[in-house]
Amino acid sequence: MKYAVELNRARAGMTGEDWKTEFTLSVSPGEFVALVGPGRSGKGLLLKLCAGLVAPEEGTVRVLDHDLAALDSEQLTELRQRIGVVLQQPGLRSNMTLYTNVTLPMVYHQGVDEATLLPKVLPLLDALGLTPLQKLFPSQLTLGEARCAALARALVMNPELLLLDEPMGGLDAEMAQRVDRVLAEYRRTRTVTILASMHNPSVLLERANRIAFVRQGRIEAVGPYADMAKMPDIALQAYLGSRSVA
Amino acid sequence: MIGWLGQKTIDGYIYLTDLSAQVYLTICELVSPGRQGRWASLRVTLRQMLFTGVDALPVVSAVALMLGLIVIMQAGTQLPKVGGEGLIGSIIVVVIIRELGPLTTAILVISRSGAAITTELGNMRVAQEITALELMGIGTSRYIVMPRVVAVVLSMLCLIFYFDAIAVLGGFIIARIKLTIPFYPFAHAVAQSLSLVDVLGTVAKGVLFGTTVAVVCCHHGLSVRSSYTEVPQQVTKAMINSITICLLVDILVTVAVYF
Repeated sequence: MKYAVELNRARAGMTGEDWKTEFTLSVSPGEFVALVGPGRSGKGLLLKLCAGLVAPEEGTVRVLDHDLAALDSEQLTELRQRIGVVLQQPGLRSNMTLYTNVTLPMVYHQGVDEATLLPKVLPLLDALGLTPLQKLFPSQLTLGEARCAALARALVMNPELLLLDEPMGGLDAEMAQRVDRVLAEYRRTRTVTILASMHNPSVLLERANRIAFVRQGRIEAVGPYADMAKMPDIALQAYLGSRSVA
Repeated sequence: MIGWLGQKTIDGYIYLTDLSAQVYLTICELVSPGRQGRWASLRVTLRQMLFTGVDALPVVSAVALMLGLIVIMQAGTQLPKVGGEGLIGSIIVVVIIRELGPLTTAILVISRSGAAITTELGNMRVAQEITALELMGIGTSRYIVMPRVVAVVLSMLCLIFYFDAIAVLGGFIIARIKLTIPFYPFAHAVAQSLSLVDVLGTVAKGVLFGTTVAVVCCHHGLSVRSSYTEVPQQVTKAMINSITICLLVDILVTVAVYF
């Protein structure tokens, strides 16, 4: 597999905008690419294209060596078991506890009992600081806690590709550090490709192999953090953080 | 006017096609469920059966008892005027077991569980729970719709037979108190009037009503797009359409079985 994700002139319409997005981007296996840019620039749509939630009107989207347009629903369902996705809304099942939410994909796909999963899941919950909250329902969690739970649910199946929409959104400083540590550890021990969108400067930007600046549905620049930090675009520098501006 | 009528016809056709497709997908999931999601789906099925079947027993008991009392009270006071005292058994079978039992149970299930299913799925849709499930490779048909259809069909069947039994009991209470008919002649009259066709007709109605209620309510719940205000609108549509389709199905089954 040459690329884990490959978008080739993938065009799609943005709700509420009169312009169309057009993305061309290739992400190698094991690479971490951060998408930065203003809100409503199309970063979330790019992730949805990769997750197969939105079909491109033109162009192609290849994910883990599969052309998404060529897959039937059964094949797409199988492929999605290899992809972990965290959307802006955590989407936790409201009638399940945090623990049952996190174990749901394993219980569903592997047919194992929730209780037997405890030794496997507990280290992940510990690392994300969720162990004391495991018996709470989503309505009893803060947004940051719910997003951490959604991340745990995405990681529990050991995905080859992680698509994260604003992974640091709503997280307090300690949570952000834990998420950073968990993702770093995850990347150290496995070959996982990460595509994450961010509209605020975050510690994750420095961890990324490349940063893609998205504006008005186009990827305007792609490169390592150091190269991007030298670019004169003021808007880009604002998304990279004040250190870069200086 | 003609344009409006044409559009409504097309909309109705598309609606029925969508419902038929959902029934087909449900049958496919049921016949070849595969290994994945079997236990998780079974758990959803059992939970739905508990809510639709077991939790509904008190209200079904009360309604069935009162309906049995009313029917036999009316029949017991009117039949002697035309010399039809011996028709009590036939009245129970024709009015309660053939028609009122299945229909009233269906209406109770629609108003309790149908509304709840549409509301739950609508809220899940707005909160992006459905999207999150799809992204985890958890199919909507297998994990959301199929367990609910199976649970509602089984619950509907059991509730109809339970309703019939309680309604007959209510009828017997009135027959005993008001008409002074002892238990044995009463039970004998009901048993004499009941045939295998009546039982099969009731089973057919139970299966078809259950399928209709579950599929229509799931369809409307999943039709919610982005706003919580759509949820009550879809609940209203689900209830009206469920009752209408159940009545049409009732007519079709009655015509097929008894004509």
